[in-house]
Formats: sequence, C-alpha cells, structure tokens
Amino acid sequence: MESLAAAIENTALHTWVETTALLWPFLEIVHFIGLSALLGSMLLIDLRLAGFYRHINVAATQKLLPIAAIGFGMNLMSGTLFVFGDPTRYLINTGFILKLILILIAGMNAIWFGWKIKPLMKTWQPDADMPILAKVIACISLGTWFGVLLLGRLIPYVSTG
Amino acid sequence: MFEWLEYTPIAIWVGESLYGYPFMLSMHAVGLALVVGIFAMRDLRLLGCFNGIQFASFGRFARLGWSGLVINAISGAFLFTSQATTFVDSTPFLLKISMIFLAVICAAIIQNRLRAEASTWDHAGSVASGSVRLLAVASIVLWTGAIISGRLVAYF
Repeated sequence: MESLAAAIENTALHTWVETTALLWPFLEIVHFIGLSALLGSMLLIDLRLAGFYRHINVAATQKLLPIAAIGFGMNLMSGTLFVFGDPTRYLINTGFILKLILILIAGMNAIWFGWKIKPLMKTWQPDADMPILAKVIACISLGTWFGVLLLGRLIPYVSTG
Repeated sequence: MFEWLEYTPIAIWVGESLYGYPFMLSMHAVGLALVVGIFAMRDLRLLGCFNGIQFASFGRFARLGWSGLVINAISGAFLFTSQATTFVDSTPFLLKISMIFLAVICAAIIQNRLRAEASTWDHAGSVASGSVRLLAVASIVLWTGAIISGRLVAYF
C-alpha cells in the first residue's frame, strides 16, 4: 500500500487535485450529494424488499435504481480523486480499507439482487410480502451501505496501520 | 452566552472526549442520509419520476425522513456546543441553518398537501399539481444548499 501511495504521488492527477484551489471542498460536496442519492434510493428499495412499507408497489421501486447508480457514480469519481489527492491519508487507514471491503460486499450483493430478485419483481403482486432471499439481500444492502457511510465519516478518527 | 455554552460539561464532553465528537459526526451523517435522501426521493416523485409508486404511499414513506431531521437536530446541537462561538460568527453556518429552516417549512407544507391531495393526484393520471411541484424544486435546492454551505463551514 505504501509503494502504491508513492506511485500515486508521482502522477499528474495527484498534483492537479492537490494544487487546484477549492477542488477539495467541491469534491466533498459532490460526495455528500451522491451519498444522499444513493442511500435515499436504497432505503426505499431495500425497506420494501425487506417486507416493510407494503403499500409501496414493489415492482415500481426498480425505477429508483438509476438514482442509486448516479449517486454511486458521483461518489466513485469524487472518492477516487480523494485517494489521488492524498493517497497516504487513505491507503494506510484502517477505516478506509474496511470501507472498501464493505463496498465490495455491497457490490457483490447488488449483483446477487440483479440475478435472483430483479427478474422476479414484475411478477409479484404490488403489496406482496417478500420471499426470505429478498429480505436477506435487502438487509445486507442496508447494513453494508450504512456501514460504508459510518466508516467514511470516521476515517479522520481511526488509526492507521 | 455562547462562550458560557462552550464551557458546559456537555460541550467539553463533545469537544474533548475520545468518542464524543466522532460519534456525533457519525450520527449527523446518518441523519443527513435519511432526511435529504428520503425527502429528495419524495421531491423527485412529485416532479414526475418513479411513475407507478403512488403519491399516497410516498406520503407515508416520507415520515422516515423526519426521523433523520430529529437525529440531526440533536447531534447538530451537541456539535454546536463544542464550538459555539465559532459557529455563530460563521456565515456558511448561518446560511446553512437558514436554508434548513426554510426546507423544513417546505417539507411540512408538502407533507400536508400529500396527506390531503395524494389520492386525487393518483387518480388524475399521476400528476401532482403545479404549486406542489414548485415546492419540490425549492426543497431540493434548499437541501442541496444546506449541504454546500455545511461543508464550507470548515473552509471559510
């Protein structure tokens, strides 16, 4: 990780992020708006898939997936630039490494959702209770994304090493 | 008065204990995701997105957003005590609080109109009335503004 950090510090992108005035707060703002879009849409989709809010038409919740994708895309881009701008701060930080692992789990869980649940959603009654697999996937999704949120916020406060 | 606040035991706990400040910051991030995330989904629905989810069911779901507002009012009050004199002199902070105040008024009006008119809109081919769509735009702009000015508190 330390050699990776050193390699990043030699890139032009690193210099650009580090020296461009007000880029950092701009990226932070993008990151916060992105997390609101991602978590807001995931809350509705996952709480319905977990069996709550059965008055919400379950098939129609799929229409929020593009908002989740946009939010994730905003945060992937702004987050990558954070790492390029200050690699030694992130790459050796335990909170950041755990955050990346949780994002990986959330990503695999999303693939599982796309494979096993999404094709079935149109066949369900609008107010149907959900099968156990949908509930498990929904809980993993909410657990990992809120974990990502908390770990991200705690990066400045956890130890490195 | 704000100087006095900074020396209360609560302010000292938030500012100086190992876990006080990061715990309150974490709660503030969770509350942000709930209130801005859910209210923004509601606003997008009012503006015509997610056709197929009834306005009536969104009215009930949006209540979850209010719990985020409560979490952030409490965690925000704790965070405020630790640096009260700095915050009351910070233009971005005062801007942030003003925008949240207006956004909450928007949310209250939207919530009332959803309760009263959602089923009418659902029957009228799924279109919310113009004045509510205007409130939805104002709500998105105000919450975005609150995030922007909130982040800038650390810089100006």
